Amino acid sequence: MRVILTAKPRKKPLIPVEAETIIPRHFRQGRDLTVWEGNRERSLRDIFDVMVERTAAAAEEVEVILRGDVSRFKRVGEYMDAGKITIEGDIGMHCGNFMTGGTIEIHGNADGWLGREMRGGRILCHGNAGHYAGSGYRGEKFGMKGGTLEILGNAGDFAAEYLAGGEVIIHGNAGDLPGVEMVNGTLTIHGNCSRPCGNMTGGTCTVLGTVRGMLPTFRKNSTLLHGSDKIPLTVFEGDIANRGKGILQVREYSYDD
Amino acid sequence: MTELLLRNACVIDPLNRVNGDVMDIAIRDGWIVESVGNGAEVIDARGFLTLPGGIDSHTHICGTKVNFGRYMMPEDMRAGRTIRKGVMHATSGYSVPTTYGNSYRYSAMGYTSILEGAMAPLEARHTHEEFSATPLQDTMANTLFDGNWPVMEAVKEKDVKRAAAIVAWTLAAVKGFAVKLTNPGGTEAWGWGKNVTCIRDPVPHFEVTPAEIIETLIRANELLRLPHSVHLHCNNLGAPGNYQCTIGTFDLVPDLNKERQSLYATHVQFHAYGGTSWKDINSKAEPVAYSVNRKPQIVIDMGQMMFGKTTTMTADGPMEWNLYRLHHNKWSNHDVELETTSGIIPVYYSKKSLVNCVMWAIGLELALLVKDPWQCLLATDNPNGAPFVRYPEIIGLLMSKRYRDEEFRTIHPDTGKRVILDTLDRELGWHDIAVMTRAGQAKALGIAKIGKGHLGVGAEADIAVYPIRIRDTDPSRDYAAVVSAFQRTAWTIKRGRVVCRDGDVVVEGTNRTIWANSRVPEAFDMGRDPEFVKKFDRYYTVRMANYPVQDAYIPRSGCIESEAVL
Repeated sequence: MRVILTAKPRKKPLIPVEAETIIPRHFRQGRDLTVWEGNRERSLRDIFDVMVERTAAAAEEVEVILRGDVSRFKRVGEYMDAGKITIEGDIGMHCGNFMTGGTIEIHGNADGWLGREMRGGRILCHGNAGHYAGSGYRGEKFGMKGGTLEILGNAGDFAAEYLAGGEVIIHGNAGDLPGVEMVNGTLTIHGNCSRPCGNMTGGTCTVLGTVRGMLPTFRKNSTLLHGSDKIPLTVFEGDIANRGKGILQVREYSYDD
Repeated sequence: MTELLLRNACVIDPLNRVNGDVMDIAIRDGWIVESVGNGAEVIDARGFLTLPGGIDSHTHICGTKVNFGRYMMPEDMRAGRTIRKGVMHATSGYSVPTTYGNSYRYSAMGYTSILEGAMAPLEARHTHEEFSATPLQDTMANTLFDGNWPVMEAVKEKDVKRAAAIVAWTLAAVKGFAVKLTNPGGTEAWGWGKNVTCIRDPVPHFEVTPAEIIETLIRANELLRLPHSVHLHCNNLGAPGNYQCTIGTFDLVPDLNKERQSLYATHVQFHAYGGTSWKDINSKAEPVAYSVNRKPQIVIDMGQMMFGKTTTMTADGPMEWNLYRLHHNKWSNHDVELETTSGIIPVYYSKKSLVNCVMWAIGLELALLVKDPWQCLLATDNPNGAPFVRYPEIIGLLMSKRYRDEEFRTIHPDTGKRVILDTLDRELGWHDIAVMTRAGQAKALGIAKIGKGHLGVGAEADIAVYPIRIRDTDPSRDYAAVVSAFQRTAWTIKRGRVVCRDGDVVVEGTNRTIWANSRVPEAFDMGRDPEFVKKFDRYYTVRMANYPVQDAYIPRSGCIESEAVL
C-alpha cells in the first residue's frame, strides 16, 4: 500500500501543523485522520491531496510519502511501529518521536528533535538535522533507547543528549555538546564537533574528525586503530567529574585555554 | 441578592454535630441562612453526601519553591494535560501542576480553602501572585520563622514579647496567616553547611536551641491571639530513629489555648521512623500516636506517602541535600538570606523499596492509632508524600481494612516485619473523614469562626456534594465507589456559587486571601523600633520600605484581626 500525501499550499504557511497522526498503521486502518493547524483541527484532506494505491494486510506493508512543503509539520511518525515514511523535502520538528519500529527516510533536512526518545526502528536523514537530534526532551533523563538514527549531513547542538541505547551516526559535523549526559548506546561522528560527552556515564562516542574544546574531565587511557582504514584514535574515559565509565575516542583534539 | 437552595442533602457537619441528617441548606449572597424565598435557584442533591467545603491545612501549591519545582521538572508537564474547555484554562503537570491545574483539581475534589505550607517572607510577593491565579480556593500562607535572625536574637534574650512583636510585624508586612517553623534552627545551621539533629543542638552563632525557638514562638503566638497555632515541621525529618526527637518536641508543648491546639505538627509520617539506618528502618507510629493521644494541645497531619512519582520541596534545605545524596538526580538548593532555606528534588516512591513501603504504612498507622480524628488530619504534604489528587485513595484506605490488606499484599514482602499496619482493624467512618478533611482543619486553623468548615447558619456557603449515598454504601466493601466519589464532586459550591459541576469548573472564580493581623501596642511596633530597623537595613538586601507586600497583591483581602496581649 502506498499513500502519497501532497501538502496543499497554505494561506499562512508559517503556522505549525501537529501531525502525529501520520504513521503507517493509521492508514491501513482507513481511519479518518485529522491534524491540528495552530489551534484548528483539520481533516487530513484539507491539508493534503491524498492518493492511495492498493491495500495492505499489515502496517509493515504501508509506505507513506510526504510531498510538498512539510517543513512546518511536527511530530510526523510519532509512536510509529511499522512500515515506512518517506519525506521528499524538509520535515519539521519532532519527527519520529518515540518510534519503536519501521523506517523514516528524509531526503531533505530535518528540524530539531529528530528521533527524540526513539525506542527502535530506523531514521535516515539525507540532509542536515537540527538541534537535539536523537536526544531526550526537556527534563527527561533517558533519551533515545534503541534503533538507529543516521544523518548524512550535519547535526546541530546537543545531538544524542541523554543517549541511553541504540546507535546515532552523524556523517557530517556535529555542533556543540554532542553526547552530553550519555548513559549508554553508541554515537559516531564522522566530522568535527566541540565539547562532546560532558557528564557522560556510559556508552561509546567516536569522533573521527577534530574535537575542539575537549573537556578536561576525561582521562586519557590508550590509543587504537579504528576500522579497516586503521584511523588512529585516542581513547578517553569519563566523565570523571560524574564518576562516569563512558568511552570517548577521538582522532584529533584540542583543549580550550 | 442571589439565593440558592440545596435540597435533600445528606449532611455531615461535625462542628454543628450533624451526622448524616437529610436536610435543605439555604444560601443567600454567599452565606448560609435560615431560609430563602421562593425565587431561589434550587439544586436537588438527591440524598448525596454533603460536607462543608474541603480545607487543606498543609499543601505546597504557590510560591517560589513550587515554581522552581516547575522549572526543574519540565518532564512533569507531560502528565496531567488538559485542554482549554469553557472557562477552564489549559493545564498541565502532575506533581507540580500549573496554578490553574491545582485550583481545578482541588475544586473537583470539593476543596474550597487551602493553606500554602511554607512562604519565605522575603519572597511573599510570588506566593500572593500565584494565589491570585488559584481562583477557586480561599488561600492562606504559613510564614517561615525558623531561621529568622531577629527572632533568634529575641529567643536568645528570652524576650517572648519581642519575638511576638517581630512575628506580628512580619505577618502584617507579608500578609501571612500563621507562624511556620521548618526544622527550626536547622535551616540557619544549613547556611554554615551544618544541620541540627534534634531540639537540643545549638544553632551556630546564635547559640539558641530548636527547643528554645519552638517554646518561645508557641508562647509568642498565643500572646498575639493568632487564629492558628505554631505550625511545626520537626527537626530531623526523614531520618531513621527520628521518632524520639518528635516525641521530645511534643513534650515541650504547653497547653495554652482552650479553643484549639497549641502546636500543629505537620507531615508526622516523615517524623515517626525507628531504627538506626535505612537498613533497619521501622515504624514508630505507635509511640508517636500514644504521645498525641495524651496531649490535647497537639494536632498532627498524616503526611501520607503514596506510591508513584512526585516532587519533594521543603524549606528544610539540609534534608533535601541528604535526599539528593540518596538519589543523585536533580537537586535545587536555595538560601533566603536572613530567614530560611529551601530545597527540591524529584522522587519516585516504589513498592519495591522497603523503606518506601514502611513510610506508606506509617502514615496510615498514625491516622488509625490517633484516637481522636480532630487530632490527626488528612494531608500528604502535597506534593512531598504524594500529589493531593491521591487524597481519595487515602480516604478509601482509612475506611476499608479490606482495601488496606489488598494493597499490603502488593508491597514489599518484608514490610510486615517493620510495621503493624496489617494488625490494625480500625475502619474510619464518614464522620471521621469529614473531621479529617475539613472540620478538623477549620478548628485547627482557627477559621471556623469566620465561617469556614461548617454548614451552620452564618457560615460561608462553601459546600461539597459527593455523588454517593452513605446509607447504601458499605465503605469497607465498596471502597472503589468511595474513592471515585471523593475524586469528583457532583457540585462544589464556593461562597454560594456552583463553581464545579461533575469535575468541570464552570466559573472563573474569585478567591480571597486570608491573613492575620495582630494589633500590638505602639511600643511593640517593630516598624519604629530603632534596633530592628537598624539591623534590617544593615543585613537585608532590600530596604525595609520595599519589604512589605503592597495591597495590590491582595485583590480580595480576608484579614483576621486580633488584639495582642503584650
